[in-house]
Amino acid sequence: MKGKVIVITSGKGGVGKTTTTANLGTALAMMGHKVVLVDTDIGLRNLDVVMGLENRIVFDIVDVVNGHCKLKQALIRDKRFEKLCLLPAAQTKDKTAVTPHQMKNLTNELRKEFDIILVDCPAGIEQGFRNAIAGADDAIIVATPEVSSVRDADRIIGLLEAAGLTRARLIINRLRKNMVKRGDMMDIDDIIDILSIELLGVVPEDEMIIVSTNKGEPAVLETNSRAGGAYRRIARRIMGEEVPLFNPDEAGNLMERFKKMIKLAR
Amino acid sequence: MATTLRKVNGELWLDLSGEKTFHAMKGSLVRQLNSLDDYLLGTLVNIDIGSKHLTNKQLREIEDILLDHGLHLKEIMNSLTDRRDTANFNKPVLEDMPEYDETLLLCRHLRSGQKVCSNGNLVILGDINPGAEVVARGNILVMGSLRGIAHAGAGGDINAVVAAYRLNPTQIRIANHITRPPDGEVVTSSNPEVARIRDGKVIIEKLKI
Repeated sequence: MKGKVIVITSGKGGVGKTTTTANLGTALAMMGHKVVLVDTDIGLRNLDVVMGLENRIVFDIVDVVNGHCKLKQALIRDKRFEKLCLLPAAQTKDKTAVTPHQMKNLTNELRKEFDIILVDCPAGIEQGFRNAIAGADDAIIVATPEVSSVRDADRIIGLLEAAGLTRARLIINRLRKNMVKRGDMMDIDDIIDILSIELLGVVPEDEMIIVSTNKGEPAVLETNSRAGGAYRRIARRIMGEEVPLFNPDEAGNLMERFKKMIKLAR
Repeated sequence: MATTLRKVNGELWLDLSGEKTFHAMKGSLVRQLNSLDDYLLGTLVNIDIGSKHLTNKQLREIEDILLDHGLHLKEIMNSLTDRRDTANFNKPVLEDMPEYDETLLLCRHLRSGQKVCSNGNLVILGDINPGAEVVARGNILVMGSLRGIAHAGAGGDINAVVAAYRLNPTQIRIANHITRPPDGEVVTSSNPEVARIRDGKVIIEKLKI
């Protein structure tokens, strides 16, 4: 079976593309799939740091496309999961070191070995973005509930459609339910209304993400991380399972809180 | 230790394995050659240098000395390579360091994504941050924190060293060896340290001069 290439993109920077890539990749590997994470953010690589694999890098994506090494030599096996690999970006070069054509060949090469190829896209819409989407079959858009992020996501969806990627799906990241309730943050429905694409999942704001990023261990490994749980559910949805958007337990809590509020109002 | 000179099958065999430094080796070589008769002109010479390794420049120097005496170098041998070289262990770091003509002095911090290469030694008066890379054919000396990647002896010189005021690298590479700090262990030293190859492994020692 040929592997599937999914690009994770957003337009705006700092919304959690790299965190999402690391967590979804780890979650999919936990489910037993052969996964490779490809960092295309040449010159500003981070995925290796978030995965805690920085000190193992010898060859990178630029070495591979220029033929300085074999693809197998550049792939770094994850510390925790046998079936998870990382293809790191180069740090001392820039985005022009790779062309979209080379990326297409590279992803086709990776398809033979892996079930899922997650491509971490850089911020922006320039060559880095064009490289990242070159070989993709599918796209996941990450957006935070902010006007600027949603605006950029909209622009990206347009560019993806122009490139033939019409089935982009959305992950809403860093949602704060209590702010939404107060009316201080965009609601899921508002965002879907503007972007009108399929919602793949919602990740709540979670301080543990910062801790796990600093440690180089994706949050999905923590059983009690709320964001980690959300990523695990999203990974199952990617594989076609029917999973509720929110953790059923938390939804229950919400209902109870709601009831309490009604009681208080009486 | 006495230096011996033998003549076997029309070739000269010179044992310099007892000399501690390259300088002493050279001196001993010159003394031995000065005592030779002229009828040996054009003879091939084999030299045993024990467990030491010569840089290309040192090799050229030896060849030049031999040529001055009308002799040709046939081979350099390491008779002691398989023996554990414990004598070297307590010697000051700088004594046996390979020599290079060129040294690049850099007076700034190297930040992520920056890379500096040198054809000889490389001295940095500043820090090397994670994501930055320094590469030298010779030795690397960092008068600051080394947190990024350092590659000494990039031309294949396994005697090259990486020394730093604070040595916390992402990776250290010497010649064709690549090492990284072990997972989970956070060992921070507040002393200057030096990384070099001993018995085929990159090890880190306190910097002693």
